[in-house]
Amino acid sequence: MQRIKRLKWTVLLVVLALVIVGCGDGDAEEEPAATTAAAPATTAAPEPGDQEEPAPEPGDQEEPAPETTTTTAAPAPPPEPVTVRAAVTGDEGTLTPYTYISGFPGWNLLMLQYDSLMQLDAAGVPQPWLASSVNVSDDLTEWSVTLVEGVTFHDGEPLTSDDVAFSVEFYTTNPEASRFARDFRGVADVVVHDDYNVTFVLESANPGFDVVALADAPIIPRHIWESVELPSEHQFAGGTNIGSGPYMLTEYVDSQSYRFAANPNYFRGAPAVDELVVIVFADDAGAQAAIRTGEVDVIFERIPPEQIDLLDAQDPLDVILGPEFATQMINYDASIRPFDDVAVRQAINLAMDRQDFVDTVYLGAATVGSPGWIHPGHSVYNPGIATDVYDPAAANALLEGAGYADTDGDGVREFDGQPMSFEIITNASDSLRLRIAELTVEMLAAIGIETEVLPVDTGVWENAVWPGFDVNNGRNYQIAMWGWSPPVQADPLRLPWLVHSSLDRGFLNLTGYGNAEMDELSEALAVEPDPAERKAILGRMQEIIAEDLPFVLLLYPDGAYVYDSSVYADWEFIAGQGIVSKLSLLPPSARP
Amino acid sequence: MAQYSVVVVVAVTLNFLLPRLMPGNPLALIAGVDVGMLTPDQRADIVARVGLDAPLWLQYFRYWGDIFTGDFGFSFRSSRPIVDMIWERIPWTLLITGLSLVVSAVVGVLLGALSAWRRGTKGDLSMLSGMISVESLPSFWLGMVLISLFAVQWGLLPSFGAVTPASDLEGWAHVWDIISHAIMPVAALSIVGTPGVYMTMRYSMLETLGEDYIRTARAKGAGERRVLFGHVARNTIAPVITVLAIRLGFAFGGTVIIETVFSYPGLGRLVFEAVAGRDYPVMQAAFLVFTAAVLVANLLADLLYPLIDPRTRTS
Amino acid sequence: MTASGSERRAARRMRRRSRLPTILGVAGLVIVGALVFTAVLAPWLAPYDPTDRIARPFLPPSAEHLLGTNDVGHDLLSEIIYGSRVSLLVGLVAATVALLIGTSVGVVAGYYPKRLGSTLMRGVDVILILPFLPLLIVLAAYLGRSLLNTILVIGLLIWAEPARIIRSQVLSLRSREYVLAARSMGAPDRWTILRHIVPRTALLATGSFVRAVSGAILLEAALSFLGLGDPIQKSWGSTLYWAQTRGAFLTPAWKWWVLPPGLLIMLASLGFALIAFSLEERINPRL
Repeated sequence: MQRIKRLKWTVLLVVLALVIVGCGDGDAEEEPAATTAAAPATTAAPEPGDQEEPAPEPGDQEEPAPETTTTTAAPAPPPEPVTVRAAVTGDEGTLTPYTYISGFPGWNLLMLQYDSLMQLDAAGVPQPWLASSVNVSDDLTEWSVTLVEGVTFHDGEPLTSDDVAFSVEFYTTNPEASRFARDFRGVADVVVHDDYNVTFVLESANPGFDVVALADAPIIPRHIWESVELPSEHQFAGGTNIGSGPYMLTEYVDSQSYRFAANPNYFRGAPAVDELVVIVFADDAGAQAAIRTGEVDVIFERIPPEQIDLLDAQDPLDVILGPEFATQMINYDASIRPFDDVAVRQAINLAMDRQDFVDTVYLGAATVGSPGWIHPGHSVYNPGIATDVYDPAAANALLEGAGYADTDGDGVREFDGQPMSFEIITNASDSLRLRIAELTVEMLAAIGIETEVLPVDTGVWENAVWPGFDVNNGRNYQIAMWGWSPPVQADPLRLPWLVHSSLDRGFLNLTGYGNAEMDELSEALAVEPDPAERKAILGRMQEIIAEDLPFVLLLYPDGAYVYDSSVYADWEFIAGQGIVSKLSLLPPSARP
Repeated sequence: MAQYSVVVVVAVTLNFLLPRLMPGNPLALIAGVDVGMLTPDQRADIVARVGLDAPLWLQYFRYWGDIFTGDFGFSFRSSRPIVDMIWERIPWTLLITGLSLVVSAVVGVLLGALSAWRRGTKGDLSMLSGMISVESLPSFWLGMVLISLFAVQWGLLPSFGAVTPASDLEGWAHVWDIISHAIMPVAALSIVGTPGVYMTMRYSMLETLGEDYIRTARAKGAGERRVLFGHVARNTIAPVITVLAIRLGFAFGGTVIIETVFSYPGLGRLVFEAVAGRDYPVMQAAFLVFTAAVLVANLLADLLYPLIDPRTRTS
Repeated sequence: MTASGSERRAARRMRRRSRLPTILGVAGLVIVGALVFTAVLAPWLAPYDPTDRIARPFLPPSAEHLLGTNDVGHDLLSEIIYGSRVSLLVGLVAATVALLIGTSVGVVAGYYPKRLGSTLMRGVDVILILPFLPLLIVLAAYLGRSLLNTILVIGLLIWAEPARIIRSQVLSLRSREYVLAARSMGAPDRWTILRHIVPRTALLATGSFVRAVSGAILLEAALSFLGLGDPIQKSWGSTLYWAQTRGAFLTPAWKWWVLPPGLLIMLASLGFALIAFSLEERINPRL
């Protein structure tokens, strides 16, 4: 009997030890989480007294709203505080201007805490925001900004011209956060006239300075950041995330959640959503499960096409759809045989059944691509460019006429004595793109071009198409599936980046394309002050692209976002950008 | 011992080399979204700042320095100190692996013993084939099916994470919150983990039952219960403990899939994300934790063994 | 309880004991046989070419398409039938790779236990110490995605276990009389190994091989699911990968898109595991 007892005890002890290890550590985990939570709560959220002091007169808050705002009567504040729980996929770091991770939705979450001088409206057009007015000189080199008066940072300090000048200086002297350093790259000087008037003097004309810089870069407080030495390693500890925006980050738990509290003193009016909790998921499937169970109220990522109808059908979920400027396209190395022959490129373009991609892969939730690059819903789209160009017979005739015959009768044409047989490299992590690649193989086979999809790791794919992220390094692919994020197209003035033959200007020219007229137009575009004239230049550039085909644009996926309408329904879809922005969370009266 | 340290050095070296052997460029991760718009100078600045411009041997040397100082620098991805990131995640991984080990151990040992004792009966047959089937379940599939049923269809359990975010729960409500989030990951891990313990237990017990002294005891007509507990159990449990200890060591690396499926904030998910983004320093540090866990578990097994198995103690 | 009673029971047990492995083994053989049959006859069994877009995407099951269609309109039943080819192939070939490495290392390490053997076994230790799944991910990313690489990655990762098992067997064979006799008569090592050692490890090796197949099938599925396989190859794992990325787990489609490949992976792995189990029972007759 003694033995039995001893054995029992040993087993029991082991089990107990494991339980203690497990549970004990589970509890211990609360410590770090709690400390990260507590620290910002005390520092980031200002004491009530602090807010009072520098706060402007009550009247002031209404006045400086720019003329575009429809200042209707402010709705009565809702009796119950609204909390919205949003899902994102992947952690976004500590969300300072130097530590946010992705362009979307990382930048969008960053900008909930900060403001830029201008803000895109629902149509995607920049409107004055922190600025009450923006004036540009005729030669497009001097941009004068008048700030809204009485704006304060979360800690109660006023936001003035000095902070604007400091932000530009800080970004340019600490260029690791490439995005904002690049925004202000051409700025020769920032002249501070007084507390609310400041002028950006540019080295050369830049008609897109409002979109590229003024509506993009967050204004950071000098009194916080001037003591920061290594901004990219500066940790979230309350102080770093003080901006002027509608939300304050009060808690961050790595890879789990962000907690934002509304800034009641926001200069455009208190946000409609009082608390925003952003939950980090490991993958899309997790987020989609959670919105079905009601554990989240909105997904801050595009939902895949097949989910749109399914989720929309479920009560109380709704789906909001809109145009987005992301792209799916085919790149080829236009500097090598046979893709240096425009006939081959045109044949590939004609062979693409764009409607089939949209219907089959995107189930209709995409817009057929314009061969001229610009989205048909974009303000500078040239309506002369046809998107309905699918014509495999014409493609075959074109190849036949250009001397690419199938001499050995194996169904594959030859060029320079070799079969037209190529690899299509694509990143395996984008499953829809992979399906597009598979369909592309079928369509190219119909015109006698044999291809095989090579799905690879994202790093391998980037390295083949864009080695070292520097076009000077050349290219290591024949055909590649590719796509650019919305900002590349949203601002049409970036078009020269894609097509200029000089690698200095055409630093996104991944296909080795060159055309003298295109280069001239690109240079003219950069200095043209008249918007109508710019549109004309862009129209001509689209014609050349559709004719010359530096790449083959297939489609633009539509943005689709799912939300729980019983929790919050006032989402604002910014054309080309989606719903993740401060506009969605502000009362309609405070939106531009 | 000397040989063992060689193993450790080789393993650590591989931990350093593996991330760097992977194709792809961490620059995109460090520089952020618009890496293509950097000037070559800016690019060089960034590479220098994180020490990737140094020759490989120097980086390797620094890695050893990191190991001895316990400071692994900052993540390329989130710019957070890696030591913090790892410490935040270890408890979660320990929680679900610890609990699932307990469940697997208890269920596996009990069923394994029963199966061996009733060897050849219908019960043994059904348990055995059941366990072999369960072992053949893909764990990700199991996880997704659990979510689909228990969270989405029936709404019984939370579908993701380790706690309800921003819930401000305290006391028992908080404990229950943690438990309810752990149930599905623990269940999935336990289900795939139990057959291994069961098989070991069954084997070990059959082996013990075959020993001469047991046969003698049974032939002498000693009560079955007495034989079972007095002789068999204590001689059987040792290999099972070893298996469990070793499994504890591998548990860190074995939760990648389950943590990803359940969006559980443990080490496995950290590694998966680090690998996807070529976050060298995080990969290095996390692999080191995995390696260390295996070593510690082996050591634990070696220490426990003589305490439990009297034969090894005397010999 | 009388002695005779317990003896009778013991005798009854002995009879059952010998039957158990046989029953399970036969069950395993039947499962594996059926799957191999399906794989070999896939072109005749499958109603459609699994790479043809023959219908609208996301169709539920119907008379023409018993399991509906996938996200681009491939017939899912045909896809799963053809998928058995890749899954079984990966399982068998990867296990062969693992067995070749494992047996060679095990035999050599067991036959020369001193310097060479212990060095080799330290290599095995390293493999066993390294975090398994992360290693898998790194290797998969390094080698790139193709069927061959998937096989290589899996094979390279699962040889350590067979190596250990075989080594311990060789260690004990080494001291048997006939081996000692052969050596004392001056027979070359190679001859002794091939003549006396390898044949006697064959049964054990077969056991680990079959177990390795079962593990490799599961690993192939896991790799594909994590998006580290070749998603274009039609395998059960890649079918699940597409089901996962196109949201089928959370929709009614999971019954015809998720369940069948998942159960087939389980069935295949089970079939091989059962065979392995019955072989192991035979090898160790004392059990």
